[in-house]
Order: sequence, then structure tokens, then C-alpha cells
Amino acid sequence: MKKLLLVSLCFLILCITQVYAQNRTITGTVTSKDDGLPLPGVSVTVSGTTNGTQTNASGKYSLSVPASAKSLTFSFIGFQAHTSSIGSSGTVNVALIAGTNELNEVVVTSFGVKREARSLGASVGKITNDQISQVSEPDVLKAMQGKVAGVDIRTSQGTPGASTRIQIRGNTSFTGDSQPLIVVDGVPYSNDNVVTSSQVTGGGAYGSGIGNIDPNDIADMQILKGSGAAALYGSRASNGVIIITTKSGSASRSKKGLEVVLKSSASIEQISKLPELQNDYGTGSYGNYSASNGSWGPKFGGSLKVIPAWTQYLNAYPELFPDGTVPYVAHPDNVKDLFKNGSVFENSVSINGGDEKSAVVLTASQLNQNGYMTNQNFKRSNISLGGSTKLANGLNVRGNLSYASSTQLGGDFGETQSGAPSLFSRSLFLGRNWDLSLPYQDKNGNSIIYAGAGQFDNPLWSARYNTNTTGNERFIANMKADYDITKWANLSYALGINTFNSDRREVIEVSSRAAQGLGSLTLDNYRKQEIESTLLLNLNPKLKGDFSLTGLAGVNFNQRTTGRIVNQGNQFIERGYHTLTNTVQKLVLGDSYSRRRLFGLFGEATVGYKNYAFITATGRNDWSSTLPVDNRSYFYPAIQGTFVFTDAFGIKSNVLDYGKLRASWSKVGRDTDPYNLLATFGYNQNYLGLPSLGISSTAYDPNLKPEFTKETELGTELSFFQQRINLDFTYYNKNSSNLIVAVTTPNSTGYSNYVTNIGGINNKGIEVMLTVKPVMTQSVTWAITGALTKNKNTVTSLTPGLTRFSLGYYSYAEPGMPYGYFRGSVAARDDQGNYLIDPATGLLITATDPTKIGDPNPKYKLGVTNTVTYKGFTFSALLDYTKGGTIYTTTVVNELGRGTAKITGDRETTWVIPGVYGNPNTQQPILQNGNKIPNTTRVPTNDLYFGSSFATNGANEFSMYDGTVYRLREVSLGYNLPKSLIKKSPFGSVRVSLTGRNLWWVAPNMPKGTNFDPETGSFGDGNNQGIELSTAPNTKRYGFNLTVTF
Amino acid sequence: MIRKLKYIIPAILLITTSCKKALDINSDPYSPTAVSEGHLLTGIERNVAANLDQGGLGYTFEVYMHRVTVREAPNAYGMTGSDIGWGGFYVSTLTNVDFLITEATKNGNLKYAGIGEVLKAYTYSILVDVWGDVPFTDVNKLVSDKITNPKFDKGKDIYPQLIALLDKGIADMTNATATNVLVPGSDDLMYGGNMTRWVKVANTIKLKLLLQQRKVNEAAVTPAINAILADNNNVINATAESFLLPHGPNGATDDRNAGFGEYYASQRTRNISPWFYEILKGYNPNIYTGIVDPRIPYYIFQQIQTPGFTGTNPSEYRDGKFLSIYFGSNGPNAGQSQQAFMSIQGIYPVGGRYDDGKGASTSTGVTAASGTGAAPDRLITYADVLFMKAELMKVGIVTGDARATLQAAITESLKQVDYVITTYVKPTSQTVPTLAGSTAATNYIAAVMAQYDAKPGQQLEQIMTQKWIQSFGYSVDAYTDYRRTGFPVLFDPNNAAQAPGGRVQPPVNGNPGLATQPSVPVSASKNFPLTLPWPQAELDGNSNAPAQKVDPSTYKPFWLP
Repeated sequence: MKKLLLVSLCFLILCITQVYAQNRTITGTVTSKDDGLPLPGVSVTVSGTTNGTQTNASGKYSLSVPASAKSLTFSFIGFQAHTSSIGSSGTVNVALIAGTNELNEVVVTSFGVKREARSLGASVGKITNDQISQVSEPDVLKAMQGKVAGVDIRTSQGTPGASTRIQIRGNTSFTGDSQPLIVVDGVPYSNDNVVTSSQVTGGGAYGSGIGNIDPNDIADMQILKGSGAAALYGSRASNGVIIITTKSGSASRSKKGLEVVLKSSASIEQISKLPELQNDYGTGSYGNYSASNGSWGPKFGGSLKVIPAWTQYLNAYPELFPDGTVPYVAHPDNVKDLFKNGSVFENSVSINGGDEKSAVVLTASQLNQNGYMTNQNFKRSNISLGGSTKLANGLNVRGNLSYASSTQLGGDFGETQSGAPSLFSRSLFLGRNWDLSLPYQDKNGNSIIYAGAGQFDNPLWSARYNTNTTGNERFIANMKADYDITKWANLSYALGINTFNSDRREVIEVSSRAAQGLGSLTLDNYRKQEIESTLLLNLNPKLKGDFSLTGLAGVNFNQRTTGRIVNQGNQFIERGYHTLTNTVQKLVLGDSYSRRRLFGLFGEATVGYKNYAFITATGRNDWSSTLPVDNRSYFYPAIQGTFVFTDAFGIKSNVLDYGKLRASWSKVGRDTDPYNLLATFGYNQNYLGLPSLGISSTAYDPNLKPEFTKETELGTELSFFQQRINLDFTYYNKNSSNLIVAVTTPNSTGYSNYVTNIGGINNKGIEVMLTVKPVMTQSVTWAITGALTKNKNTVTSLTPGLTRFSLGYYSYAEPGMPYGYFRGSVAARDDQGNYLIDPATGLLITATDPTKIGDPNPKYKLGVTNTVTYKGFTFSALLDYTKGGTIYTTTVVNELGRGTAKITGDRETTWVIPGVYGNPNTQQPILQNGNKIPNTTRVPTNDLYFGSSFATNGANEFSMYDGTVYRLREVSLGYNLPKSLIKKSPFGSVRVSLTGRNLWWVAPNMPKGTNFDPETGSFGDGNNQGIELSTAPNTKRYGFNLTVTF
Repeated sequence: MIRKLKYIIPAILLITTSCKKALDINSDPYSPTAVSEGHLLTGIERNVAANLDQGGLGYTFEVYMHRVTVREAPNAYGMTGSDIGWGGFYVSTLTNVDFLITEATKNGNLKYAGIGEVLKAYTYSILVDVWGDVPFTDVNKLVSDKITNPKFDKGKDIYPQLIALLDKGIADMTNATATNVLVPGSDDLMYGGNMTRWVKVANTIKLKLLLQQRKVNEAAVTPAINAILADNNNVINATAESFLLPHGPNGATDDRNAGFGEYYASQRTRNISPWFYEILKGYNPNIYTGIVDPRIPYYIFQQIQTPGFTGTNPSEYRDGKFLSIYFGSNGPNAGQSQQAFMSIQGIYPVGGRYDDGKGASTSTGVTAASGTGAAPDRLITYADVLFMKAELMKVGIVTGDARATLQAAITESLKQVDYVITTYVKPTSQTVPTLAGSTAATNYIAAVMAQYDAKPGQQLEQIMTQKWIQSFGYSVDAYTDYRRTGFPVLFDPNNAAQAPGGRVQPPVNGNPGLATQPSVPVSASKNFPLTLPWPQAELDGNSNAPAQKVDPSTYKPFWLP
């Protein structure tokens, strides 16, 4: 076997002649400057060569070096690399300084291969444990916001456990998954967002798979942004790859024999901002009282003193209203009082032990988050165990097992006008005279409200009874064995299985406006298993002279299997028991299965020259089960080069101390989903007891070809003033072509969708990471890190004949336009852009043709972190800024249209909409003697927001707002107790910190006082972005954290 | 090295072949690739009706036909390029119909093929009637010929092909030599496999298509119509032969009439049009003045319990217990929530509640339990056939006694109410009196026929008005009839006689909570559309589609001169 592999890779070894003569041994100890403890696993190399070793468990090393060697380079993840010259003594002791974003560190790349950062030709982002743990944020993706350039993270809803969307370098797919591949300890981690009910007509704030990850357990994350860095991962790498190494998955020799880390956090969470409300007018319309939703009624304190008690209240509680009336007064706090303080409690323990040969890590953690309303809860428990050992025969073995369980409990959301029982149907724009301290249910437990029956569910009732509960369980088992065949060849085999099981119960209680008021239960069981198996040969031959060579070759097998059963029961028989057996009508909504397989064969070779110039070539061939037999095999190459010009030209300036240029070109192929080649018949629900089937409404192209993404990336890394200023700049241009899309077809084709290779998307942009350290003294350091993400997305082509196609809910794909741009109805205008006004009403006319009304993609995002340390104190603040990006929001439209927003309180006058009179039939201006007639028809404020005008009932363009937002995302103050204080305690270190999250933000282009956070969306991590349908507002948090080691 | 090849080569071969096998897993084990004719037919019949009833086109046209008023888009002729029905016809119905015809023809099961051809012709005729020019020849050629942009055919070119398709359907259904190993039975929701009735339906549809062309093609259609009507048994000739899609209650599955959705809607939106109501009440000064239609309690359910109820919210139109809003209303109270008080469709059109005068709960209004919702979709009734005959006689294309035929049609219309209730709706929570033959019914027919005699100049209008009253609940053909004949006279907010000064007056003392009801400002910015705008999604996706109709009030179907 050994020989077979050697033969097949003989091209790699042709150039190997003989190994260096060695004639000197250097020894020493590497410690951490922070605490003086020894550091095991530090890479020690002769500078400018690949000749090196690692420190042992007690931080000691011993290395034979040629006589010509001048210095040694020490590098370790999480520490600044250090170069020390070799003196005459033969001993080199080093204390490494902890730090991130440094130049010469070791980076984990595809398949866990470690590379020196200087040899990488593509941008890699990095996140360490302390950036994402104890920041009052249990969601790892949210904790990353603003910290990595090139990564666009968008939150969905402010309810615990809701999913978060992450996208690297823009959208590369029309309808498929555009999120990066997440690899945890070597196994792809399904980040599925299981959507049970349409999020337009209801449904919960569903979470996604990554919600199972505990940020405390993450040792570090590498973000391979470009396909250049990720090409070896193959098919899913065109969206980038996030490589997560957990503590248990990276069990390595401990600094001490045994170390225990305890982390504990407690936070309070609240709605980040509530809208400003007018409290002068109650419900009604045009100044007249009625029991309606809109607060367009008469002024408080006028002649109307009492109003008839609301019908449902009077019927339910006649005793509360002896004369059948209630006072007509404002309830200024009725919105605020709906909400309470939520909380987040996190505890984790990590135990790390071992000796020189073996290591074991055990981690366990628990999270309990309660939202700001009843029945909003997210609980997560994680247990994992990992270990590694080196056997006497030289075989290294490693394995880890982890189990995660989470439970999300939450309510319903969605478009109220489409019948959704959203918890936020009215919550932020309650009628100003509604007394929410009255009971929310009648004596039988039915929801009762103030306006007409069925308009919405009483929010307090809904929070209590309409619940969605999702229980997820995930098992991960990994094993890896590797063996050094020779000093320069290592063969490894890794096998991992990741099993995800999600069980959901959605309850609509009897008397809700949804489910016909009869109650409904939906059970969704989703199961996914992913198997990943990789055989890898790592080559690290020692070359004579100035050249170095590393290479790898491997075989990869991946299998993904999903199964799903969705059952629904309608009409509860006995109220209050939410089981399928307690329903009258039992329907099977789905029973599906899919399996796909992928084989990949890949290789990579890096040639270095004098440790300042490197060229890496990679290639991979995939065979996918999902493509037609003739097209299932596809190859794609990548090449990248780096040049450390400061070393090459011997620049040893105090101003510029490191400079690297890098370039890469890559191509990545991608397959499609299973069963995408042939239309099949689907089962209809029985009708009058009779079964039937119908052909799928999607047609398939039997000759699908793989998708390809080609990406060019150019970048530079510069360091000035001895790393006081570090700049990492990247430009990329990425073209995705042959994209496989279930394109919306004209229905006259007989189908509503057609899966075929349809078109292309271009993404280009820049990423900048800039770190400046203005102050670096013994006692005070101040560092500023900026991360800029700017991506421009353009759909480049669609099948000839297709102008555009709908992605759902106002989002479209069209050549020349950004992906997902919004298209919808607009007010008719004349050729000079004046509004055409309907003479009959004085209001706007809606144009026949819809047009572009927005783009949900932000222009750029900027995150700036300031960190100041003084003695044991660390203060850090992350400010971020999102420029642009349109948001469609029903919440804001309703705050205006329902007359509750403070700005709608200006009602003492009437208004003239600027424009000219137009003919609604022809949509042309009305001319009088050849001239347009300026509008002079006055309309009341009520019509301005509720008529065919600027909010409710207006054209779609008036529901679109610019989502620019400034935010103080994260602020923390931490303190490490001095060593002297804990010397006699069993503790190694004690750290306390206070954190605040999302404490301040301003969205300058939202209507004044609506206080709507544009960073909210309905569709979780789906491709439909920038759409908000009666969702839960975002939160802010105040937290206290404690970390103890011993 | 060479000798090792004897191990290496088989190893490689083994790996490659097992890899190939491992990759050949791309067929969905849960989804069939072929199905039997009967399983297709059931779904097709359901789909045809689903796109025509009030869940599809029927909703818009009930508003355009002034039997229902809403505040949403169909109000004031406001429909833009929405899908309503288009996708349902092309995707859910016609693609499956094509599969059915192909499979059944291949297998020699020609009865299935024939039914498929009749339903295909019927579906396309509706598409032409509603939208004018529509794709026909290029449809469903995506998989076979990669046609992704079907061209639009002219309505006048499509119609003759539909007549031919109906003839083909009749020939297939009556083909004595076909093997017909499988024949329709209970899988045929409409006729349970009764092929005699299917042939009658095919002829009736043909009659309808010919009649609809009479204004542009009278000479050509006259002999064809007379040929069909030579024997009354060629066409639907009995109540039970009507072309209906049955519905059922909310049992093991929810099989209810789409219009019944108002009974459990969280926000009821579909009012009964005051225009329709006033004609039924005998308030209209133009037609049937003073004649109260005995169908009112079967047609309309009034939720208000007592005429003296003063209301929670101010109302726009009240007449005792009847509460509604106007078409094209700009009144301040059109938008008031009247969930538990507005009048809604009753037992006959949607399987709701017979109005026994007791009203409904003031908390919630009617509930899903108020009725079974099992009223059928009445695509073409026997009464429709009689009305068609009366029209043809009246205009002289067919010889015969138009008056007697009209009277038979009205009599049949009343009988049909009882038939629908007892055969299909089967109310469980109330006893419903029989309509046909009641004193009120007899008096009504007499009064209507007296008016027919008294107003010779209004006879065609009366025929068409009676047909319009009869078809309440199914509106697509009413829309076509109105465009063809201009009858019944519909409410026009811009008509100075009907709405002087842009205002219309509800019954002055109709609301006991008010001393007098104020007049209501009304307007319709758009003119009556002669066809619907095409669905915008079709135009966006289809490069061979024409430009959108800017003004649908001028875009005629081919059968309008």
C-alpha cells in the first residue's frame, strides 16, 4: 500500500534527492508570556526552511539544525509568531505573546492541514474563543458580527434560538443554499433551517443547525473566504468554508497535567427599542370613534368620555362593565407593558488533561435563555469528549464524540394580512385606548380582543397558547488515525458521522384566528445524517537548496441522507391536549427521503522559494450521484501564489516590516440536489375519500451540467512600525456560471418551475482588515481593529428569453441587477417624476407596471473594535455600520397606517400630496389647455397613511426603507484578578467581565420614532432577505461573566 | 513493480465499478414515475373546478358581477396582473390532462381519453373567454421540445380547435371498438363514469361556445346550434345531469366549497353587493321593482340578530338586518370591521347557513360549524341550458317559445336550490324548508312572468338577469354573458342616474341606530374590463408574451364585435 501510493504520487518525489546533513542540536523551552506556563505543541522551525519540530507537553523542544542556520521561528495558534537568533549556547528559550491577527502564524486549511500564513495565497479570516464566548450572545454567528471582513451576517428575529444567516463574498446561487460549508472537527455540519409552516402565513422564528454549537466549546474558527482557499473541499466550497475546531476535537497536551476551566455568564435581555407612540387619539377613523384597529379616532379629552365596551369583552365579562361602557382614555404604556425582562444563563466546564503521549478533553455546557415574552425560550446542552494518543507503533489516533441537545420554544409570526396568527400582529401598534390589563381570554379560554373578532389573536393569549417547540439532537462521532510512513510522508484516515434529528410541534390553540379557530397541531420530524471519510497523504519532503515542497493527495467520500415526515392534525377534540390522537382530521403532509453521494479525488502541491515565494497548485475531481451519468465527473483546478517582498528584497525598515502580495485563481465545481433530473407524480390529499396523484409542477432538465465558480483574488498583507499597524486588503472577483436553478417558468409551459442550468452571478468586492495599536506600553495597550466588507452582486445572465424570475415575496433575479432585488408596485408618475393624483380621491394612482423598488444587499459593512487594556483590565467596544440595503417592513407600515406612530399624531391640518392630476385608466396626466394640473385636493392625515398613499394600502414602494444602521454592537469590561490575590487559592486564574450587547443603535432613514431595527428579517437563513413580516423585535443585553481556571 | 500490477489493476477496477454502483442512486424511491388514469382523473376534475370557484376566478368575477363587494383589489375593477387561476389551469390541470389523454390513448382506455379531451376543451375555452389571447399550441412542450416561451395564440384561432377537440372527445367516449380495460367509475367525481352524461356535457359545452360567438359569427353558428338542439337529449336535460363538481364537509379531509371560507375567515371580506340585494328585494327601480325574490334566505345569511341592533361600529349600508358596503366606496365606514355583523353568502351558493332569521353570535359571528360547506361548484346547470335556449329563441337563432323556456328556466332555478341542499349540502344543524312549489315561489314566478309580458323591450334583459340571479356562487359565465349582452344592468359608480353627484343613497331609514343613513361617496377609477390583464409573472417569464394590456376595458375577447 505504501508503495502504491508512492507510485501514484511519483511526480511529487521526483525532485527529492537527499536529506540535509545536520550537525547541531538546539534545545529550549517555550512559555506563554501571559502566565509563564509552558506551551506544548508550538511549531519550531529553522527560519526560512521547513525543517522543524514541536514542543512537548512541558514546552520543551530539541531540534537539529544545519550549521548555516541563523535563527529559529516559533509559531503557535493564538500567539504571535516569534523569531529568535541562534546564539552560541545551543539553548533558545522563548516566551510567546498571545495575540490574534498576526502575520506568521499557523493556519488550519482544508482537511485540517496546517500551513504557515505566509504561504497562503488566499484570504483566511480567524476567530478565537475569547472573541465569541462570554459576549452575552449564545449564537455563535451573531457573536461573530462585525469581526471578520468579507462576511455578511444577518440576524432574523429577536426571539431566542432564531436562525442567523451568514454569507461569504455574496450570493453565488439563485435558489440553492448560498451559505458556506461549515466543517466541525473535520465533518461537514448541516446548518439546515427546517421550515415547517410558511413564514408568510405563520410559522415560528425557526432556528438553524448551527444553533447547536456552543461558542464556549469552540477552540477557534478559520474562515476560508474565497474558493481559492477552499477549493479542496470541493462542491460546497464556492460559498466559502468555516472550519471550526472544538476543544474536544483538538485535544492536545495540556500546559499543566490537568486544567479545568469554568465559565459562567448571566445576562438580562430586553427589547432593544420600542416605537414612540402618539397618545392623543384612540381607535376609529377620520376622527370618529369605532372599535377598529387604527387609532384614527377622536381626540382624548374631548366630548367623547366613554365608549361602548368591546363586544367580545362585554359578552365574556358583563360583570366588569355594569353600564356597558369603558372610559375613552389613553393607555400610554399598553405596548411597553406587554414585555418583560428576559435572561440568558450560560455555564460551561472544560477539563483538559493528559501526558506527553495522550490527551483528553471533556467539555460540558448548558444554556438557558428566556425571551421578553411568555413561552420564548431556548435551552441547549452540550457534552463532548475527545482524546488523542500516540501508540508505541507510531500510529497517532484521535477521536471525539459529542452530543448536543437544544429546545426552542417560541410563538408565531408572519404576515397578518395573509391570516397569520403573528404574536406581533398588533403588539407594537396597539389601539391607543386599549386596556391590556383586562383579561386576554374569556371564561372558556378563547382569545378576546378589542377590535372586530378575528382581526388578530390577543398577544398575551397568543404567547401563552400558540407555541412552536423544536427539539434538536445531534450526535457527532469522529475518528482519525495517522501514521508517518517516512519522515516526510504522513498517511491519515478520518471518518466522521454527524447525525441531526429535529422534532417540532406547532400548536395553534382553539379560538386562534388561524386554523379556522378549531385548533391545529403540526408535527415535523426531520433527520439528517452525513458521513465524511477522507484518506489523505501529506508530503513534506526536505529539499536541498532554496526550494521547499509540500504536497498532499487524498480521496474523499461524502454521503448525505435526509428523511422527513410531517403530520398535521386539525380540530382538537378535547381542548388543551396537543397530540395527534386528539384531533379530528389527520393529514400526512409529507413523507420524503433523499440520499446523495460524492467521491472526490484531490491533490495539492506547494513549492516555496527561500520561504518568501510560494506557489500552490490544487486540483480536484468530483463524481456526484446527483448529476446525469455523463456529467457526473468534473474537474477543477486552482493556483495561488504569494510573495513576501519585504523578505525578498531584504527590506528591514522600521516603517514597513512585513509586506506580502498574494494572488489566486480558482475554479470550483458544484453538483445539484438529489432527484433533480426527472419529474415524478406526487400524492394529492384525498378528495371525498378518493385518492389521486398529479405530476410535479417542476420540470427537470435531464442533461444538467455541474455549476462552476471561478474566482480571482488579489491581496496584500502589510505591517508597519513593528506590527503597530497591520493591513490586510483583499480584492476578489467571482463568477458563478451554469447555475442550476428551479427557475420560475411561464406557467403556459405547463410547469411552474424548471430545473436547468440557467445563468450566472458575479460577486466582486473588497475586504479590509486594519489593526492599529496607538498605545503599547507596559501597562496600557490600545488596539483598534476595523473590518470592512463590501460586495457587489450582479446577476450576469439568464437563459435566453427569460427576462427575470421571481424568488418569492417581491424578490427577483434579473440580468444586470443585484440578486434578490425588490420589484413591486409603484405610484404612477408623469415623465418628470411627479406623482399622478387621482382627482376623485386626491390620492396616488398605482402604476400598471411594477418596477425596481429596492435592493436588500447592503452597500458595505464596517465593524470597528476598540480594545484597551490597563493592568488587569480590558475594555472593548465594537461599533458597526451597515450602509444601505432595503428592508420591506410590515411593522413600520402598520405603525404608520394604524395611526399609532408618534409622527401620525399631527392631525390638525389636511395635506396636499405634491403631484399633478392623472387619469387612472390611461395613467397619463390630465391636461387642461395642454398643461398639467397641479394637485390641490386636500386629504386628512388618515388618508396619508391609510389611503392609496404612503403606508397601508399604498404601493409596495412605500413599504421599502433604507436599512442603514449604526450600532454599538458589543461592549465589555473585563478584569483579571491579580496573581498575588489568588496565589493561595486553588485557582490558576480568575476573570470577571461585564458585557453589553446592542445597547445603542440608530437607523437614520427609518421613519422618525418608529425605532425599527432594519437588521430584522422573516426568512431566517433563507435566500429571501430584507423582508420583515410582523416579526419579534431585536434585543439588547447586559451580562456578567466569570471565568475560573484551576 | 510490474508484477505488482496484477494486484493493482483488479483493485482499481473493483474500486471504479463499486464507485459507479454507489453513485447510481439518483431516483427517488418514494415518488412514482407513472400512475393509472383513474388517479389522474380525480385530481384533474378537482383542479378544473378549483380554478373556477371562489378560490380562483370566481372571487374576482363575483365582484365584477356585482353580487359581492369587497375592499380588496377586485373592487372598482382593480385587478392587475395577478395569477388567479392561470397557473392552476396550465400547471395543475392541463399538464395532467395531457398525461391522461396520452396514457389513456396508448392503453386503449378511450373513455378516460374522451373525458380528458372534454375537460381540456372546456378549460381552454375559459382561458380564451377570460384573457382573450392565450398560449395554446406551444403549451406543455417544455420537456418534449424545450419550449420555454410559448407563443400566444389568437382566441379566434383556438375556439375552432376546441370544437374539434370536443368532437374527438365524444368520438373517443363512444368508441365501441376501444379495449377499455380500465373505465371510469367512482374516480370520476363529476359523473361516476356515466358516459351518456359526459357526451351530453360535451355537447352542452359546444353549445355554449357556439352561443358565445353569435355576435361575430351568427351565420356560421346557427346551423351548428340547431343541430345540437335538434334533440333536447343531446344536452344536459335534467337537474341531475348538471355539470357540477361536488364538495363535501370538513371530515377526514377538508372538501368544502372555497366560498365557504368566509364562515371561518379570521377577517371576513366578502359582502353581499347592495346592488344584488336590492334587485332581490324589489328595490331596484329598473327591474323587478316590488317583487321579493324567495331565494333571499337561501342566498344570503344575515348575521345580525334583530333589525333593531344598533351596531358596534358605524356601518355603510344597512337595511334592517342586512349589512354591507358599496362597490367603489369612498365612504368613511367601508373599512369598519363588521366581522360578526356583515351579511354573507348563504346555504345555496357556498353551503353556508340557511337564514332562519336568528342571526349569529355577536362575539364571533357565524362559525365553521354553522354549515357543512358542501355546496357543489355549479359549472353548467340544467337551468343554464334552459336560459341559453331562451336567449337563442329570443334572438331568433333557434325557433321556440322564449317566454315558456324562461319560465321553465326560473322554475328549474328554484328546484335546483332544493336539489343542491338536499343532495349535496345536507345541513346537519338546521331544517331547511323546500323552496320549489312554495307559495312564495309560485307567486314570484307569476310576478316575474307578468313583468316579462309587461315590458317587451326588456325581455332579453330579464332573461339574462334571471340567469345572473340563478348563477350566484359561480360567476365566470356570468361575466361572459354580461360582456356579450350587456345584461344585467350593473352598478356603475360613475353613472349619474345610479349615483347622482358621485354619491349613492342607502335605504334612508335602514339603520335603526341612525336617524337617517347618509349617502356614500363612490367612484371607480377604472372602466369595466373586457378581459383580465395577463398574469405579470407570465409576461415577465415569457419572451413571446405580448405587452401587458394597459387598459383592459378596451381589450375585447374575439367574440365581441
